[in-house]
Amino acid sequence: MRILLLLLVTTAAGAQTQFVGSNACKTCHADVWMNFYKNPHYKSIASGKEPAEKTGCEGCHGPAQKHLEAHGGKTTIPRAFSLMTPKQVLDACLGCHARDLARANIQRSEHTKNDVACTSCHSVHHAATPKYLLAKKQSELCYGCHATVRAQFSMPSKHRVNEGFMQCTDCHNPHGSFDATWKMGQKPRMMEQAMNTESPCLKCHMDKRGPFVYEHPPVRVEGCETCHNPHGSMNAKLLRRPVVFTLCLECHNGAAEFGTRNNGVTLQSNRHNMLDPKFQKCTTCHISIHGSNSEGFFLR
Amino acid sequence: MKTRFWIFFAAIGVLSAQQVVAPTPETVGAARGENHGNYNITNSFETGYRWSLVGGDLGEYRSDVNYRNGLRLLGSSLSIDSKDGHGHYFDQILLHTMGLGNDPYQSAILRIQKNQLYRYDMTWRLNDYYNPGLTVAGGLHRMDTVRRTQDHEILLFPQSGFRVRAGYSRNTQDGPTLATSLEPDNNSANSAGLPVFADLRRQWNEYRLGADVDFAGFKLTVLRRWDFFKEDTPYSLVIGSSAASAGLANDLTALEQFTKAAPVHGRNPGWLGNLMANHKRWAVNARMSYLNGHNDFALSEFSSGLGRFGDAANRQILVQGSADRPMVAGDFNFSAQPSSRLTVVNNTSVNNLRIVGPSSYTEINNGSNSGQTIIFRYLGIRTVTNSTDAHYRVKDWIGFYAGYRYTDRLVRTIEGFSIPAFDVTSPNTVYENTNHLHSGTVGVQLRPVKNLTTNLEGEVGRADNPLTPVSDRNYHTLNGRVSYRTRKVQLSTSYKQVYNVNAPVVLSAYSSHSRNYSANASWAPKDWFALDAGYMKLHLDTVSGIAYFAGTGRTTLQSGNSLYLSNVHAANFGVRFAVAKRADVYVGYTITKDTGDGRAVVATVPDPATGGVSPAAALFAGVQTFPLSYQSPLGRVSVRITPKVRWNAGWQFYNYHEQFGLLGYYQNFHANTGYTSVTWAF
Repeated sequence: MRILLLLLVTTAAGAQTQFVGSNACKTCHADVWMNFYKNPHYKSIASGKEPAEKTGCEGCHGPAQKHLEAHGGKTTIPRAFSLMTPKQVLDACLGCHARDLARANIQRSEHTKNDVACTSCHSVHHAATPKYLLAKKQSELCYGCHATVRAQFSMPSKHRVNEGFMQCTDCHNPHGSFDATWKMGQKPRMMEQAMNTESPCLKCHMDKRGPFVYEHPPVRVEGCETCHNPHGSMNAKLLRRPVVFTLCLECHNGAAEFGTRNNGVTLQSNRHNMLDPKFQKCTTCHISIHGSNSEGFFLR
Repeated sequence: MKTRFWIFFAAIGVLSAQQVVAPTPETVGAARGENHGNYNITNSFETGYRWSLVGGDLGEYRSDVNYRNGLRLLGSSLSIDSKDGHGHYFDQILLHTMGLGNDPYQSAILRIQKNQLYRYDMTWRLNDYYNPGLTVAGGLHRMDTVRRTQDHEILLFPQSGFRVRAGYSRNTQDGPTLATSLEPDNNSANSAGLPVFADLRRQWNEYRLGADVDFAGFKLTVLRRWDFFKEDTPYSLVIGSSAASAGLANDLTALEQFTKAAPVHGRNPGWLGNLMANHKRWAVNARMSYLNGHNDFALSEFSSGLGRFGDAANRQILVQGSADRPMVAGDFNFSAQPSSRLTVVNNTSVNNLRIVGPSSYTEINNGSNSGQTIIFRYLGIRTVTNSTDAHYRVKDWIGFYAGYRYTDRLVRTIEGFSIPAFDVTSPNTVYENTNHLHSGTVGVQLRPVKNLTTNLEGEVGRADNPLTPVSDRNYHTLNGRVSYRTRKVQLSTSYKQVYNVNAPVVLSAYSSHSRNYSANASWAPKDWFALDAGYMKLHLDTVSGIAYFAGTGRTTLQSGNSLYLSNVHAANFGVRFAVAKRADVYVGYTITKDTGDGRAVVATVPDPATGGVSPAAALFAGVQTFPLSYQSPLGRVSVRITPKVRWNAGWQFYNYHEQFGLLGYYQNFHANTGYTSVTWAF
């Protein structure tokens, strides 16, 4: 028992002595050190209270004794991020960053599943943005993999991401999220649920939130995407169709089995002659199509 | 070498940031700034003049682009950092602004923090754009919408095991909104909806207070939020409108007076609780959220004018009531990592939402009270989802994953109304719709050589009773991605298809096919040269069974198919190069073109009965596809005058061209926009 105890103490002490402190690193890596006081990770040094394995350079890269003795070389760095697998990178960063609510569901994130590690988007030493240490401007980071989304934001009707008004993270949580509370709980889609459990669209479009006496059920049950392309569209108002009556008629056809009554989504009125131009713009009269307090047909 | 890398990195950043012509991205380079005591300060301003010359449909331009003339503070940046991390009141201040001084898109971001004590973040944004007054604008681009949002978040003791957080968000919307008057002849088969625009007033405020606690390897977050929504828009008719002016012949309907007030006061207070732990072999995350929405509203609307046959008519409507929406959502997520190569994640989610709303509706038509109706509506949605995903990394170069998801959803409505004037009360009628979804996913990840990654994934889903004909029922997706990334070269290509079929239910033979292709390349061989190019194709075709009323004389119920076909080709190209270390030049081009189904003119469909053109079929044939192109070349130059001063200029051209004028109206425009500015940095 004593031998075992002695062995444990010796091992622990040995591991402790592997740490050399950040001052040793700056001798060779002066370019990194020069601006490091502007880096959020400098807090670990400034605090002076963190243990060696969570302080400065060695907090992320591991004990540097061997690296020093070998006079450099990536392979002698215990945690050289460019040589690590995505899972190793994730584990290393979560060592400190796991407690943030925004990263609570990172193990179930589509990014994690697809080997998109922290260093795919963040650059600790060469960040283009001092906030969040992103390697590039946020939208460009996302476009790097989601090229079709870039095309959608270049369409005539779009949310103003390229113009700088919005960012992808206004609607998405790149670190993973819970199931959305709309649709059928398919993939989480990494939707940011800043409104507790509701669609992020409501953060800006607060007038659509309700509750209304007359909810348009697809809005609440299936989500805004039933009628809109949220990134961008060739059609006005981000709609999925160039004219609104085709959008409405595709659901309101009276076909059995659908709708909240299970007997079809209500057919349009027989007073609506589709050849009359005024009936071709449904939302001219049904102005409160997202929900109304006073009118079951969303007329006011 | 290190400096070269910084410059190289800056070049990538500058190249990538080119989306609109201003502001000029600040180059990242060697450390700069001035030291004052224990602080280092860096600062830059870019100020200049922006201009635009627009031809064609100005309303569509303002809906899509909206840059205008005037002096601007195109961008500014300030950072103050304490050099030892022990500042007196703060350790860091970051402030970035964009577009201040009347640009349509403006923002300011501020962060102030002191290590171990506090962190404060603020975001302020403004978005000003036109919105088509009607869905097919037809020239009615009247809605100059302005949204202002601001978020404030403060976190106390950010590095300790007990953190307190508080926040405030505010969101306002101003600008014209549409309120259609259906008066005074709305019960006629020829009733006219006459648009009335009004300046709306909407405001939303949210307050948040919460705390995080670390204990025994777990992290607990509790957040309380209160939010208040208010809309109080006064509607009044400034200029009378008539059916004749809306193009309806032989209809004397005219609106001469219209007033409406519909104040809404709502609130959505809620709780959020989250418990999580992350360990080497397992992780757990549980969330519970409760929200209790409530809206009080009233509506008073009065209109007078002429009826369809020219007789005087008026109507008054009074509505009042309230609506409640309690909502509970809970999630439990457990991740197990029995070995370094295997990860299994199981998630269970439950959410329950109930919307209850009674309202009292009274209508007085031409002085005769048609009676009061009390309406009750309930909508409840309960969803339970369970999913399991497993990921196994066989070797460093190959891994597999698979998942299964099950969802059970119940949608229930209860509807009832009573008319106090009559002794008849309809009992509440309950309707239910249940839907079950089973879906499975399989995928493989390959990394045959360093820097080359490949992902292939497939998913199949089956739902038995979707809510709407266009919802997911029998669907599958295929997804593939290949990318090769080094510091100088990045190549990637992807393919994704989503097929959804709701056939063979009668009349709802809905099917949709989407296929997306993309290819991207970035090349930065030198620190003074970088190139970026991409091509995407987005294909969508849908077929829907529809039923509608139409007829040249008497309307009859007709059925048929609604087809829609879109083939969007999008390309972007940009090249950035430096000239003699003094000037940065960027030239770029983007084009988005929907070729539709390839037809050159709107199709006409012969009527099988008469051999002529069926008006109804022609109407739908004319909107099956919407070919148009939207392209935008741009160029910009930034010249170093002194180490602290740069001169910048940029030009961007927009060309929007509709090939078919939907319902006979074209909204084409072209615009030259640009700016010239000076950047001062220290």
